[in-house]
Amino acid sequence: MIGKRILVIIMLVSVTITSGCWSRKELNELAVVMALGIDTHEDGYAVSAQVLNASETGAKQNSSSMGSLPVITYTSVGKTIPDALQRMLSMAPRALYLSHLRVLIFGEELARQGVGNTMDFISRNHELRRDFFLLVAKGGRASDILEVITPFEYIPANSLFSSILISQKRWAATGKITLQMFITELKRDGSDPVLSGVQLRGSVQQGRNVENVKKIQPDTMIQHAGLAVFKRDRLVGWLDESRSKGVNYILNRVVTTVGDIECAGGGVAAYEIHRADSTTHAHLNEKGEPEFRLEMEIEANLSAVECAMKLDSPDVITDLEKRIEDRFNTNIAKHIRYVQSEYGADVFGFGEALHRQHPKVWKKYRDNWDERFRTVQIQVNANVAIRRIGSIVQPINEEVDEP
Amino acid sequence: MRQTDEAGKKLDHLPDSLPQFMKEVNNRLGESPDIVWREIALGSAPAVILYMDGLGDPIDLLEAIHQDWLFFEGEGEQTPGDRYRVLKERTITMGKVGEAATFSDMMEKLLSGNSILFVDGVGSVLYAGTESLKQRGVEEATSQSVVRGPREGFTEALRENTALVRRRIQNPNLRLEQRKIGEQTNTQVAIMYIEGLCHVDVLEELRRRMDAIELDSVLESNYIEEMIQDQKYSPFPTVYNSERPDVVASALLEGRIAIFVDGTPFVLIVPALFAQFFQSSEDYYQRGDFSSLLRLLRYLCFGIALLTPSFYIGITTFHQEMLPTNLLTSLIGQREGVPFPAFVEALIMEITFEILREAGIRLPKSIGQSVSIVGTLVIGQAAVEAGLVSAGMVIVVSITAIANFALPAFNVGISARMLRFVMMGIAASFGLYGMIIGLIILGLHLSSLESMGVPYMSTFAPFSWRGQKDALLRLSQRTKKKYLRKLKS
Repeated sequence: MIGKRILVIIMLVSVTITSGCWSRKELNELAVVMALGIDTHEDGYAVSAQVLNASETGAKQNSSSMGSLPVITYTSVGKTIPDALQRMLSMAPRALYLSHLRVLIFGEELARQGVGNTMDFISRNHELRRDFFLLVAKGGRASDILEVITPFEYIPANSLFSSILISQKRWAATGKITLQMFITELKRDGSDPVLSGVQLRGSVQQGRNVENVKKIQPDTMIQHAGLAVFKRDRLVGWLDESRSKGVNYILNRVVTTVGDIECAGGGVAAYEIHRADSTTHAHLNEKGEPEFRLEMEIEANLSAVECAMKLDSPDVITDLEKRIEDRFNTNIAKHIRYVQSEYGADVFGFGEALHRQHPKVWKKYRDNWDERFRTVQIQVNANVAIRRIGSIVQPINEEVDEP
Repeated sequence: MRQTDEAGKKLDHLPDSLPQFMKEVNNRLGESPDIVWREIALGSAPAVILYMDGLGDPIDLLEAIHQDWLFFEGEGEQTPGDRYRVLKERTITMGKVGEAATFSDMMEKLLSGNSILFVDGVGSVLYAGTESLKQRGVEEATSQSVVRGPREGFTEALRENTALVRRRIQNPNLRLEQRKIGEQTNTQVAIMYIEGLCHVDVLEELRRRMDAIELDSVLESNYIEEMIQDQKYSPFPTVYNSERPDVVASALLEGRIAIFVDGTPFVLIVPALFAQFFQSSEDYYQRGDFSSLLRLLRYLCFGIALLTPSFYIGITTFHQEMLPTNLLTSLIGQREGVPFPAFVEALIMEITFEILREAGIRLPKSIGQSVSIVGTLVIGQAAVEAGLVSAGMVIVVSITAIANFALPAFNVGISARMLRFVMMGIAASFGLYGMIIGLIILGLHLSSLESMGVPYMSTFAPFSWRGQKDALLRLSQRTKKKYLRKLKS
């Protein structure tokens, strides 16, 4: 009995000791990849990885610090992405660790050729989490973006990551598109994906130099550049700021943003949107063809009034709401038409709406939706409510009645 | 005494004549210098008063004999037997008086501080309770101090301790059973319970276990604790101990049984449940809502004390992807240049801390201060600056140590300390997966434990709603009563 017990204990202990700590990796054996950039190359892919330089991070600079920069970007070429990543180890002293990837950037050229094949590696690799953002380097190569030193956030990948978060929330002209979202929209029949674009403001040469961030106004900065429209997995074109906002309105991705409207008597008023909901209704017209109606519910606050208005009168507010509604109706419709005619990519997910609301009808259109989408009728119907007009009532420039 | 049982039995009856008596006593006690013989004459009969110097003081007995002399003044000759009887029945003014007819009986009385009166030709001796051992007074309890609540702590004297409890529970149902345990030490051990409140099965079980104890010596209550605990090989204590009379009183009122051991201020309480080790007597002296939060905090502290280092090891060596990215960048920077794996790093720090702690307890109080200062410096600043350990690890070890001290019962803190190292080893080889397996095994072990036949995890498993009012939380005073009794019936 006691012999048996001892045997069991010895076996358990040897399991613990002899297993050799399988898959154990110490923190200081890792090269944490913060950002990956993928570009085209004649021999396959050129992959750049922005890797954390551990001795330069941490709250307190430790003794092993050499005053170098907090990240290093390695670039290598391979037939496939894993091949290129592996070749990076000819330069990097530690194993690349992909779990903490913050952003993945495609070069524009690669995006135009199609990102489908690279997506396979990215979604197949178990190390990658799903919370990083996908970006396209507008008019350039992804490696350029990863070579620029950014001010403020000392790790450029973090800087990109948090600027996407905040600009999506406050500005609404960018997209925080994660792997999951991109693939869902890519594989779904009735929709096409969009990705947010980044570009360099300034030259790469200056951006590489640490002197760049020692200025109050750095010469080179990374800037968001609207949305990239994809058809299937290929980039087909770019949307400017107001069109990008339009797309985000329809996709229900607007949290807060700012807009402006001309007043009745000249001048301009700015408003801040703090709630925007849109729903797509698909219905069939008398010929049995699908048509769409976009219902938008928008709540806004007046934030600046640069015209003569009597804001204490409800009629003025109602009139203002009406004008903003008209503005939304025409603009959003215009943006949709632009995407329809220019790219024919259903980034708004109208096909998906039809699929959900009229599954039987959808079967007829599913195979040639790309063509049908170009001509489909879409009506926009916005409903705007102004909730607050701020801390003062009358505009500062409003003429005061002399007593 | 008992080794010479064969010979002893024949001679155990007391002899009639004084010289024979003196010879026999000297024979048995080996002419110890601390035995005091006071030869007197009781009428015409020679007599002797016998006591242990320091244990007893026969001044009251001598007084009585003086009274006795006055009593018989001018009454003519009396037999020694008459005078002996009058002494016993009338003139001795002490409360505790008795007669012993055998040597072993007499020795027992003598060695516990009584004075013995032998009168030639009577054939038995009188003993009187003249104990006068110098004792520590009732002082403030040092091990379980409270902010609000009684300050008294038990002393080393059994009788004083039982009296301290009786003072709190003035109830005729409060019962005391006393016995002697220890072949060599003959230590007084008392069981205290409240008849009607305490569960009969538990009491029977305890009596059975107490009777089965075979010990040479009992110098502290732990001797008894180890003999009556349900499971010998468990890191968790199944017997509670306290040096506070109010804690014992409240346990008795909950239907538990207290075991007093002469010579130690630590009183055992059975059955002891897991939840009990997270309760402090002060919980009942403070407002219920506040006490409930404190209790939850203590469970949290147990978790921290048990798991923090292993969690840190597991996360940083196996599951880096679970860390928030900003935390990872910070930790990775700290670990840069540390030559050891996280497990070894943690082990170094934990062992250093355990050494400091042990040293701090054993050292004279005046040096203890400086040890803690040096220790803090060693553990903290210096180790990090030397690049031996990372700053994060220092924080982990410190919070673990502090959480450990926050536990109200010292012995459950020891459990956390021991298991911490086991968990660290598991986490270092199997990561969080191993830790979960370890915790499951721990949970199974805890649920399989019993204390005096009562499930250790009672009120959690088996679950009882009634019990929840005074387990994780402390809701009201009234619901506290009798819950143990309801536990089993």
